[in-house]
Amino acid sequence: MATIGHNNLNAKLVLLGDMGAGKSSLVLRFVKGQFLEFQESTIGAAFFSQTLAVNDATVKFEIWDTAGQERYHSLAPMYYRGAAAAIIVYDITSAESFARAKKWVQELQKQGNPNMVMALAGNKADLEERRCVPAEDARAYAEENGLFFVETSAKTAQNVNEIFYEIAKKLPRAQPPQNPAGMVLVDRQTDGSRASTCCS
Amino acid sequence: MIEIESYDFADDVDYAASQQQGSQSIMRSNSGKMKDPEGGEVVYVKDNVSIHPTQYMSERISGRLKLVKQDDSLFMMWIPYKGQNTNTRLSERDRNLYTIRPLPITDVRSIRRHTPPLGWQYLIVVLSSGLAFPPLYFYNGGVKEFLATIKQHVLLVRSADDANVFIVNDFQDPLQKTLSSLELLGVVPVVAPSSAAIAVSPTSESQEKMAECACDTNCGSEFIERPKYKVNDPARDFSIQLLEKFSLVTKFARETTSQLFRENSGENLFLSDGRKPNHIPALPAAPPKLPPNDVQKVSDEVHVPEDPLEFYKLALIWGNPRQPPLSQEEWGDFLDSEGRVVDSEALKKRVFYGGIAHELRKEVWPFLLGHYDFNSTYAEREYLRSARKEDYEIIKLQWQSISPQQAKRFTKFRERKGLIDKDVVRTDRSFSYYNGDDNPNINLLYDILLTYSFYNFDLGYCQGMNDYLSPLLFVMEDESEAFWCFAALMERVGPNFNRDQSGMQAQLFALSKYCLVHWQLVELSDSPLHDYFKQNDCLNYFFCFRWILMQFKRQCADIYFSSFAHHRELRYEETLLLWEVLWTHHLTEHLHLYVCVAILKKYRNKIMGDRMDFDTLLKFINELTGHIDIEPTLRDAEALCLCLGETGAACIPPGTPPSLPLKNALVSSQLEDEILGYTILRKVIADQIASAKEDDLVAFELVFRWEW
Repeated sequence: MATIGHNNLNAKLVLLGDMGAGKSSLVLRFVKGQFLEFQESTIGAAFFSQTLAVNDATVKFEIWDTAGQERYHSLAPMYYRGAAAAIIVYDITSAESFARAKKWVQELQKQGNPNMVMALAGNKADLEERRCVPAEDARAYAEENGLFFVETSAKTAQNVNEIFYEIAKKLPRAQPPQNPAGMVLVDRQTDGSRASTCCS
Repeated sequence: MIEIESYDFADDVDYAASQQQGSQSIMRSNSGKMKDPEGGEVVYVKDNVSIHPTQYMSERISGRLKLVKQDDSLFMMWIPYKGQNTNTRLSERDRNLYTIRPLPITDVRSIRRHTPPLGWQYLIVVLSSGLAFPPLYFYNGGVKEFLATIKQHVLLVRSADDANVFIVNDFQDPLQKTLSSLELLGVVPVVAPSSAAIAVSPTSESQEKMAECACDTNCGSEFIERPKYKVNDPARDFSIQLLEKFSLVTKFARETTSQLFRENSGENLFLSDGRKPNHIPALPAAPPKLPPNDVQKVSDEVHVPEDPLEFYKLALIWGNPRQPPLSQEEWGDFLDSEGRVVDSEALKKRVFYGGIAHELRKEVWPFLLGHYDFNSTYAEREYLRSARKEDYEIIKLQWQSISPQQAKRFTKFRERKGLIDKDVVRTDRSFSYYNGDDNPNINLLYDILLTYSFYNFDLGYCQGMNDYLSPLLFVMEDESEAFWCFAALMERVGPNFNRDQSGMQAQLFALSKYCLVHWQLVELSDSPLHDYFKQNDCLNYFFCFRWILMQFKRQCADIYFSSFAHHRELRYEETLLLWEVLWTHHLTEHLHLYVCVAILKKYRNKIMGDRMDFDTLLKFINELTGHIDIEPTLRDAEALCLCLGETGAACIPPGTPPSLPLKNALVSSQLEDEILGYTILRKVIADQIASAKEDDLVAFELVFRWEW
């Protein structure tokens, strides 16, 4: 759930998608500005935070990076419940990963927070020569389902900050308080003076 | 200094709770009309109150502590059990030496309560004469009730200087009233009973202060000013005399008990961020009484200043010192002429305390993992090796013979290949054995994992298996041997990868119980971390998921974010050491859970101080990667395991990984019921998590209620 302070927003964001699609790489690029050719697989989940300045406010993303293998699917609700935003990641060189992304979208539509801001990221856009998923297909699917879509590359940093920035802009600015369910964010006031833009 | 006018204990949670419990216990004993053989009325009785005549926890004398009321007086007594000493070297003479015969409680000057983070709560009873009894360890709890019961009969005043010191004050005795009011530092120094083997100091730091004050008049002003309303008390001079006398006693006590002295400093240390207090006396060259044989190295090894927990062990050593790795010569001594391991338990114990020299791992690991039988001979192993190699090749051929046409019609196979393909290329690639382009070892990882997914088609491949295989291949340096060791390891940890997460849930559940038991039984009233987790929805211990799933591999092996290659190799080495220690199953099959507790314990002040919520805690724990020092952590884990003993073992439902699954035939009907009940509850937990509608806590609360 997004929680709002004085011009400051805390937002829980979850990354979902097939294994090897590049979820951890996107986060690592966004949070640390790094890229590893052989990013190790995520076990359980990893948690990161990063603050973005959007107009006159700041958004502190609290990011849950999840394990991609289907085997760990049963744990996913622990991460996505209460999330204000989700990035569903697929690999443009893998049709299976796109199919898996659609399944994630369906699951979130059914079980996620109804106000969740969802983005679809076609990652590994630098591997154009191995592309299996046409950008138009993904864009059409995203439009049908009300998702924000962009192709990204964690390797070249293409559209990585942009996708987080767009999500930050789309987050509802004020939300009626809802009953917290289990793993919710603590309503922490972000100190505006310490907020910074990403990768700066 | 004490607050004689006010004995309000409201700020002491322990005490507030105890008042209620105390009156209940009185009621109970009244209704029971228990009579002591000597004619008094027993108002308090506690079994398994023990003393440790030396600093080693293995030497323990257990007994029964009683408070007996006779006429208007209260007596305290502690009688050791006959013939139940844990150590045969403790003689009858020792028993008699330590027996506390009925002692009027008015002879007691003060009682100090200790709550070490490791081990049981204990009390030190100091007599008006200045003598003290050895620390009484309450293995079954009962400290609160003990204090409460005393309070029913005599005035018990808590020192304003130290919330853990309770001063016994008999208002009938004007001299004692005066003396008590002059208890300037809330402390009475102690000398040993005639044995001289034990002498205890209630507060070393205060004693040090006292000693300084007595020698240095400049700093003496502090205590003279303190009892402001007593400035004109003629007894003041007397008190100074006392202090001078005590300072001599302190010096004596310091020389004989500096091991124990440190404990209190440790408490301060723990609170003050590891800063070493100035008051710690020097560690003596050897402990006062050295037991023979393997524990003699202790005095050299225990001193690890950067870890505050270490100081506690100076008071009572629970774990054993770590040893150098098993060497080639020692290994040779374990084998008979035909190559059988003569004493496998001794070998496991040796590996548990020291690990294995790297060049020997290749030989010893297959035994630890159960791939080789300890009783096998050189010849039998040679035969097994070649037979197993053939077996491996046959299984491998099963997938190698799948043609592209067949693969096109075999989705499961393509999926598995795909999963393994994606993961092997990112397995420990910055470690020298696996780095570089076209590294043949990466191909071996691939072949072994795909072969295993055919060998155990039901389990298949799961992320994390690559992490288990990587060190095995590195150590075994042989494809078939690595495969069979991996298969043996998966027999133990394979359930970690169950689709329904049942293996992980069972371990997280056991961990939560370890912690609960630890905090409730061992630390008794002091279970702040448990309460903290409860308040912050952390009781599912899910933040330890990765530690348990990977048996800490990623924790030690800081492969990706370390800038120095040497550092990375070191971390890899630590994983190997930790694993072989875990695999010995010496003491427990679930040492990894104690390792979790040890780490949480170490950081508990940080966790609570920073008010970490679940998310922050998960992040914190992920970021501990590469910051966990294996040797001290293992020592702490061993100590915890010894502390919890059978109570700890009872926390673990049968068959919890890495224990091997139970054979149904051997399961008694009662056990079956327990397992069934447990399975149902586990399902409840799983459903709760999956449904994502209810708080995790609810499910875990259910479990706790059921279990307790």
